[in-house]
Amino acid sequence: MTEIRVRAGMPVMEKLRILADAAKYDVACTSSGVSRGNSGDGIGNCIEAGICHSFAADGRCISLLKILFTNECIFNCRYCLNRVSNDVPRAAFTPEEVCELTMEFYRRNYIEGLFLSSGILKSPDYTMELLYETLYKLRNQYHFGGYIHVKAIPGADPLLIERTGFLADRMSVNLELPTAEGLRTLAPAKTREKILKPMRQIQNSRLEYGEGLLPGTGSGGGRSYGQWPAVPGSGRRDISVGKSRQHLFVPAGQSTQMIIGATPENDFQIMSVAESLYRKFDLKRVFYSAFVRVNEDSLLPTLPGGPPLLREHRLYQADWLLRYYGFEAGELLSEDRPNFNVLLDPKCDWALRHLEQFPVEVNRAPYQTLLRVPGIGVKSAQRIVKARRLGTVDFPDLKRMGVVLKRALYFITCGGKTLYPIRIEEDFITRNILDAGERRPYGISDGVTYRQLSLFDDQTLIQPGNAEGRRKEVG
Amino acid sequence: MTVFVCEDSLDGILTGVYDAWDSRLGHSRVKLQAETEDSYETYELFCQYRQVKTDPGKAEKVLRTVLRRMGEETREAICYACACSHPDKADAIYRLIVLGFSMEDGTKAVNYLQNPSVLLVMKLRQKAWHEAHRMLGFLRFEELPGGVLYAGMEPPCAVLPLIAPHFADRLRQENWIIHDRKRGLLAVHRKESRWILTDDEDLNSEFLERRSEREEEFRILWKIFCETIAIEERRNPRCQQTLLPFRFRPYMNEFHE
Repeated sequence: MTEIRVRAGMPVMEKLRILADAAKYDVACTSSGVSRGNSGDGIGNCIEAGICHSFAADGRCISLLKILFTNECIFNCRYCLNRVSNDVPRAAFTPEEVCELTMEFYRRNYIEGLFLSSGILKSPDYTMELLYETLYKLRNQYHFGGYIHVKAIPGADPLLIERTGFLADRMSVNLELPTAEGLRTLAPAKTREKILKPMRQIQNSRLEYGEGLLPGTGSGGGRSYGQWPAVPGSGRRDISVGKSRQHLFVPAGQSTQMIIGATPENDFQIMSVAESLYRKFDLKRVFYSAFVRVNEDSLLPTLPGGPPLLREHRLYQADWLLRYYGFEAGELLSEDRPNFNVLLDPKCDWALRHLEQFPVEVNRAPYQTLLRVPGIGVKSAQRIVKARRLGTVDFPDLKRMGVVLKRALYFITCGGKTLYPIRIEEDFITRNILDAGERRPYGISDGVTYRQLSLFDDQTLIQPGNAEGRRKEVG
Repeated sequence: MTVFVCEDSLDGILTGVYDAWDSRLGHSRVKLQAETEDSYETYELFCQYRQVKTDPGKAEKVLRTVLRRMGEETREAICYACACSHPDKADAIYRLIVLGFSMEDGTKAVNYLQNPSVLLVMKLRQKAWHEAHRMLGFLRFEELPGGVLYAGMEPPCAVLPLIAPHFADRLRQENWIIHDRKRGLLAVHRKESRWILTDDEDLNSEFLERRSEREEEFRILWKIFCETIAIEERRNPRCQQTLLPFRFRPYMNEFHE
């Protein structure tokens, strides 16, 4: 099993091709969540919002050099291209090669940093050790101060994970599949407990080496990491007073991802899992990855319509509602309605089922209530709250502030008046919103059986946008 | 109505603000206009025109007062808004400052989006900020012989002074040049020292033609990476184009043949 199939002396170009290809199904490419200036003796800084450096042909952002250390793997997860039973070309970088690629790409402003994941070579410990060694070199020998996202390998020695966490900005452990049953069928070598253990460890270490310890400004500047832990694993470093409030351990927090559509879970189960990850594990992000069938396997579903991109998109929309809009999974979905509406986004869908709470008066409604109005986002809600202190706000003002009126007009009043005479009635509003150009998924027709006659063939269908494309967090 | 015509730059516009205020003609009787190539065509008949002579000292005073009375957010908004070209921006900035100084708490003036001048300044700020932020990512350095990094760009707004500090911090140990070819401006950074803004008249274009030995190797590696990382089943060129419009691509080497 541990026989190495990696060819010796393979050129870096070939390795990069193989190991980038093997890494592409990992979703996270964000470089956000940490702000720090140049250390003074090296290269690199990080900015809070993250930076996208390019966009690939699938519309996903390229921010980090996303590669596997090796695609050699002892496991046989059925959904994975690199499973042990697949006959694919195998390759492995050396730590020096990863460092050189990162440094040279970074200097040319191709990337924000490194995303390093790996197949399991020999054992979880052995693999984690390699990742640690690479990061250690990059931080201390090459003095790299850019962003690093690294995978914590489930089953690896907690001490190794802790050491690595001091060198990385973000760590992630993939949940792989939303439920434990799913894991049992498709990834027999992994269990839910094994995956949650490092997640809990990272959460606890972040608390232990947390921001509360550092007095300081909290903005600008950045942590002075004069040097990264000099003795590997020496734990807490000197804390320089006056630097920003930042975690020393995994400062940008941890994330995870799950594959959507490979197992039969419904949206409600998935959202509930995500919600509890945010609450109980203090995760920064949960990513959803529409299942792409890369292996011929009788246990995997066939998806004639391609990956479930629309479903993934709805999950991301709902994920935002959980994190920034104060919604709970139980409000958006329930046991009786376990899946999202295909035609309407989750927020609009929620509003239509709760018309008794509308319309709201824009000049008086609290911020949290404004956030729940379809067509009003976080930014426009903030603008409204600030602007109305200085004078009343009317419909043209709302439009200028970035409110999507064709959507919001059914749910709001300005000075007690609605924009047009409307009926607060589910069917009426649904029909109007869909008519006003709700982006409809490809291949799904109106749902309204009558339509204004037209001489011209204007019923071109709009291809749904890529979910990744509309992610609001840069990265 | 007296129109103060000022140079189309941050210093120029802020000097205009100083002079217009100092003229004591009354805020409703003065107007600010940034001088652009075609602005003489829009001169009006019943207006008096006064040419403002840019004075960095006056500009500095105005900006310092803005910072004190109206806060950092306003100062930043004004600096970013100046980077965009818009016929009414100078006057909008003047009105914003007049409004802010008249308020008890001047930091709130930027929230008053019902006011057209405030709205315009904030819109322009957003536009320049977005453009600058995109340039932070899409800018591409190429290595010239001797290890100097060179990047060219043609942004619609004058974002060079806005993005240079970011690279001065990030690439502190490097010698680099960022070239705004549209405006003939250079940001030049020497290792371990401050960056400077200068015009590109003395730039040796022959020097810029050459590349270091390993440049081509990394360019190809990067191109391979960008092509490999896309998932074929999720192909979506329209989404890619929305997020990365064609105008940026001539300078991005992953899109070169």
